[in-house]
Amino acid sequence: MDILTSFGHGLLVVLEPANLMYCFIGVFLGTFIGVLPGIGSMAAIAMILPLTFYLDPTPALVMIAGVFYGAEYGGSTASILMNVPGTPAASITAIEGYQLAKNGRAGVALFSTAIASFGGGMIGMVVIAVLSPSLAKLALSFGPPEYFAVILLGLIAASAVSNGGALKGIAMVVTGLMLGTIGVDLTTGELRFTMGIPELRDGVNIVVVAMGLFGVTELIASIRSNSGGGAAQKLDYNNFYPTKEDWKSLPGPILRGGAIGSFIGALPGTGQTIAAALAYALEKRVSPQRAKFGTGVVPGVAVPEAANNSATQTAFIPTLTLGVPGSPPMAIVIGALMIYGITPGPRLLVEEPDMFWGLVASFLVGNIMLLVLNLPLIGMWVRLLRIPYKYMYPTIIVLICMGVYSLNNNVFDVWLTLVIGAAGYVMRLYRFEPAPLLLGFVLGPLMEEQLRRSMLLSRGDPMVFLERPISATLIGITFAIAVYGIYSTHRNRRLARMAAEQTQLEEPNS
Amino acid sequence: MTPEPEKSGITEPSVAAARLGHSWGGEVGGLLLLALSAIFMIGGVRLGLGVPTRLGTGAFPFLTGLVLAILAVFICIEERRGDTEVESPDWIAFLAICGALAVFATTANRLGLVPATFLTIVVASLPDRSLPMRGKAILGVIVSLACWGLFIELLNLPFKPFVGL
Repeated sequence: MDILTSFGHGLLVVLEPANLMYCFIGVFLGTFIGVLPGIGSMAAIAMILPLTFYLDPTPALVMIAGVFYGAEYGGSTASILMNVPGTPAASITAIEGYQLAKNGRAGVALFSTAIASFGGGMIGMVVIAVLSPSLAKLALSFGPPEYFAVILLGLIAASAVSNGGALKGIAMVVTGLMLGTIGVDLTTGELRFTMGIPELRDGVNIVVVAMGLFGVTELIASIRSNSGGGAAQKLDYNNFYPTKEDWKSLPGPILRGGAIGSFIGALPGTGQTIAAALAYALEKRVSPQRAKFGTGVVPGVAVPEAANNSATQTAFIPTLTLGVPGSPPMAIVIGALMIYGITPGPRLLVEEPDMFWGLVASFLVGNIMLLVLNLPLIGMWVRLLRIPYKYMYPTIIVLICMGVYSLNNNVFDVWLTLVIGAAGYVMRLYRFEPAPLLLGFVLGPLMEEQLRRSMLLSRGDPMVFLERPISATLIGITFAIAVYGIYSTHRNRRLARMAAEQTQLEEPNS
Repeated sequence: MTPEPEKSGITEPSVAAARLGHSWGGEVGGLLLLALSAIFMIGGVRLGLGVPTRLGTGAFPFLTGLVLAILAVFICIEERRGDTEVESPDWIAFLAICGALAVFATTANRLGLVPATFLTIVVASLPDRSLPMRGKAILGVIVSLACWGLFIELLNLPFKPFVGL
């Protein structure tokens, strides 16, 4: 059992006291930030990232991963208690979770969430351990054209189904690619688009982009929605633990949610929200309690949480084996790895087995920590939600400033964060999604390099991408996704317009 | 050029409905992207496109600029129909947060970390009327002292708490 040996080795790595501590810090801070309403895992990772630069790559990665799934877990707390989802994926949990809380069963909902998260996380971890080595083996045979095609697929898949519509999503990816070209061209050594600013020589820092697009933007948008504040449902400690029937109704949804989540999470461009939504939709059809869905049922909270957390883990599969992040948080992971000089890709498993298996094992340890931490700490998170937001958000903005400033000890980065954050907020208003931009920004340099290599290899013939079977297939899929995305955007808009016309015709006087 | 909507009696009210909530943000966004793509295309040509076998420094910016230009044109056309729901902006929060970042960037090196943090907190909390000025100042003092302790004393980051002291 090769995988088991490797996993055991990874477990030894993560059980080293230092790694264990960073795993704990990551999970704790992730949950802490995730609990805050309106602030998602992206902002959480962006805020923690500067701290990890002082660490070795393995503890850094373990900590980032902990922040990621901690934030995804914490996001469910605010959605259950206040109906204000901390993360987009948690909005699915809010459907049943908030109903349960209103029925005085908030404790049961939070408890089931913790158990389901753990179960889903474990399923995701098994999938990643089993699947990654073989996928990495396949990827070792990739040449530059295949890599270019994989990156293209990842970018288009992640953007063509965005909220604002396919065209805007893809335009944001391309804008990100362009942003990524700023700085020294690694191949020729020439400067590009630095506008004579010496600080831009090394390009725009990923922390600045992520902090601006997610930290600053989400903060601005969250102020108004949280100004009411403190409207959390009360926690009834007499009614805290799940009943026997609740326990019995848990395993099915956890297994189904975990399976769906781990499959969806591993696909490029999908992510936790789609996983949670799909799992919930399916559960609504197959659950023995399906008639009661919508009124607050335990399986309805368990299934999206299990799906969400298993997708969170399996998102690491394409990230670490192909070097192509499937989701924006994974783009930050890639960016962080590159800062350490580690190129994510199939060689990672061979060259950095400690890191890879340590990370996989940290999912086990981290999820146990989440469980141990959060069951007793639910009360503390609830109290955190009661702190008025007017004290929280100025503090968060200071943390953002400090994080960016500490990168290079330079206020230029703070100015740049301001510009990117302001642009990000305006973009958000008009439904230009920031996530594809970040993805493009991170993958741009890789994509350019693979494009150059491919062209060199084919002696300048662009047909090389369509002549090689794997890259041709990938490009075909990419094309299909883009066409489908544009088509469905149009169909949805037409339907919306028809609905608008209908109301207009019904109320001619308005 | 987008064709004008049909002038049949049935569609006219609906066109009016679509125009009713029309805001120009989408088109402006498309035009801004178009301008951005022009910058990168021109910049790309200036940097040198190279030859297909050896792509030059400017080739990738040029290609991405070209793709963005095409997308931007289609976005403009799509937005002309103007049925994108627009989130209502919160400009006060926007100004306060941007102002807070600007204050931090201006004062961090000149005055030191503690005063910079204090001012950032005060500016950021300005839009919240439920917190009186004294409350804002107290919050500022607490957070700036906490930052001093955390970042300078505990994490040993090379910042000065006060400049000139």
